[in-house]
Amino acid sequence: MTTSTPTGTPTSPNITDADLYLDGIPYDRFAEMRSTPGLVWHEYHDGGFWAVTRHADVKVVSKNGSIFSSSVGHTNLWDLEADALEARRSLIDTDAPDHTRLRRLVARAFTPKNIRRWEDTVRAITVELLDDFLATGQGDWVEEVAAPLPIRVILTMLGVPVADAGYLVELSNYLVEGTGETQSIPPDAFGNTTELRLLPFNSPASHALFEYGEKIGEERRQNPQDDLVTSLVQAQAEDGDRLSGSEYRNLFHLLVFAGNETTRTALSHGAMALADHPDQWQRVLDDTSLIESAAEEILRWSTPVMHMRRTTTEPVELAGTALDAGEKVVMWYASANRDETVFNDPFTFDVGRVDNPHFSFGGGGPHLCLGAFLARLEIVVLLEEMAKRSMRLRRVGEPVRAPSNFVHGVLSVDMEVTSS
Amino acid sequence: MSDPALNDPTELVQLAVDQDACIGAGQCEMLEAETFLLDDDTGIAALTGAGTLPRQRAEDVVDRCPARAISMVDQDDGAGG
Ligand code: HEM
Ligand code: SF4
Repeated sequence: MTTSTPTGTPTSPNITDADLYLDGIPYDRFAEMRSTPGLVWHEYHDGGFWAVTRHADVKVVSKNGSIFSSSVGHTNLWDLEADALEARRSLIDTDAPDHTRLRRLVARAFTPKNIRRWEDTVRAITVELLDDFLATGQGDWVEEVAAPLPIRVILTMLGVPVADAGYLVELSNYLVEGTGETQSIPPDAFGNTTELRLLPFNSPASHALFEYGEKIGEERRQNPQDDLVTSLVQAQAEDGDRLSGSEYRNLFHLLVFAGNETTRTALSHGAMALADHPDQWQRVLDDTSLIESAAEEILRWSTPVMHMRRTTTEPVELAGTALDAGEKVVMWYASANRDETVFNDPFTFDVGRVDNPHFSFGGGGPHLCLGAFLARLEIVVLLEEMAKRSMRLRRVGEPVRAPSNFVHGVLSVDMEVTSS
Repeated sequence: MSDPALNDPTELVQLAVDQDACIGAGQCEMLEAETFLLDDDTGIAALTGAGTLPRQRAEDVVDRCPARAISMVDQDDGAGG
């Protein structure tokens, strides 16, 4: 058993340094950590954490929510004061039984069967964006395709008017900033008066998103529609125990953010990977039955959410390291997705990869991404429509990456497109 | 874990769903549509038909359930697996 003493373990480069990710994921450092026995201790400004970097260990942490808790502490790197944690708590920061109750309120809309009903909507939005992009022949793939596609889909499902999509995209961009060190908007932006530490991502944009959620919730209470906001406010009306007011706001916030930033990231890295590996895209064009495995490979390749954190509720041994209760444990999906003991040639982008148990949607525990089937559908439909048009992407210049250790974000990437 | 010498991967095993634990993620229905069905109203999984699967596939679906709500019922002593 390795000792759990935090001293003497190499912590450089600092994998929490947001600016490090401007050059991409520090894969070399993660490889080093995977090959280090036990868990690796990593310093952090409010106390350190145990870095979980191997696929098998991430799975153990994910699947044992009562020991590796989402509600104690926080699911992001930094700790929150008790009142902030409470104010910000959403589905993602709860454990059973609260988690089970909240998750069931939304789970039904996101089952594979029910997601398939949105295929035509997803396709219509995709076709419009792709045809516009083709008509111009060149542009920023993120702004023109990768960002608008998922936000328009999730807003349609929620029942938000398309006219407001631009505003919500803007809010979402500010939220991502909140995970980095600097924010470009003042604390009182959008008329915010709440202390930032009480808001998700410490961002005043969260206040605006809450307000928007309240407004549309009120509209649906008056005038119910066949959409997700209506089903949430109805659950709340029937029984406040099923969904409290603060839970509604946080759930609305989570659905907008989680359905947006992540899928955008997968679609951006996906396009980059196809442009950088024209032979792989040719394989898909020659045999479109590879589209599903190509979508999974894009997910593995991009790891849009690079980590999630848990906190131990009792002493436990993991990978031979003894942990006390109350310790931070951070699962690095970005590392698990390159684990050489699980994936053949993990650094090869292979659209035909057969066994691909990637952890881009989490390690398979109760918090497994709610939107996984929706995100998959969006990627598959995009690839199908690109293949139909024999579209070929070529990169013009380097991408601008987000300074974030959490979302593997791409802010912009110029692409040239041809169709034959 | 099952010992391959003792457990034939094609042997049929009985499954059970803990409906209090199920979060309605639909992994089971996607993997084994003949064996699991999500209720249209509650979104909670139930077994359809006999609720048996060959051992290999049973282990896979147990492993993939995010809520650990699916178990294999040991037919010898009737205890949960
Ligand atoms: C490629 C796109 C996406 C990726 C990579 C992704 C990734 C993730 C990850 C890593 C988690 C945490 C898993 C864990 O802790 O075990 C998660 C949770 C979640 N995701 Fe996604 N996600 C994506 C798309 C979506 C979409 C489209 C939605 C739409 C609603 C969504 C909604 C959620 C929600 C609500 C949770 C919290 C679930 C819970 O705590 O029970 N995600 N996602
Ligand atoms: S996989 Fe598990 S949690 Fe999901 S529906 Fe089936 S039994 Fe329920």
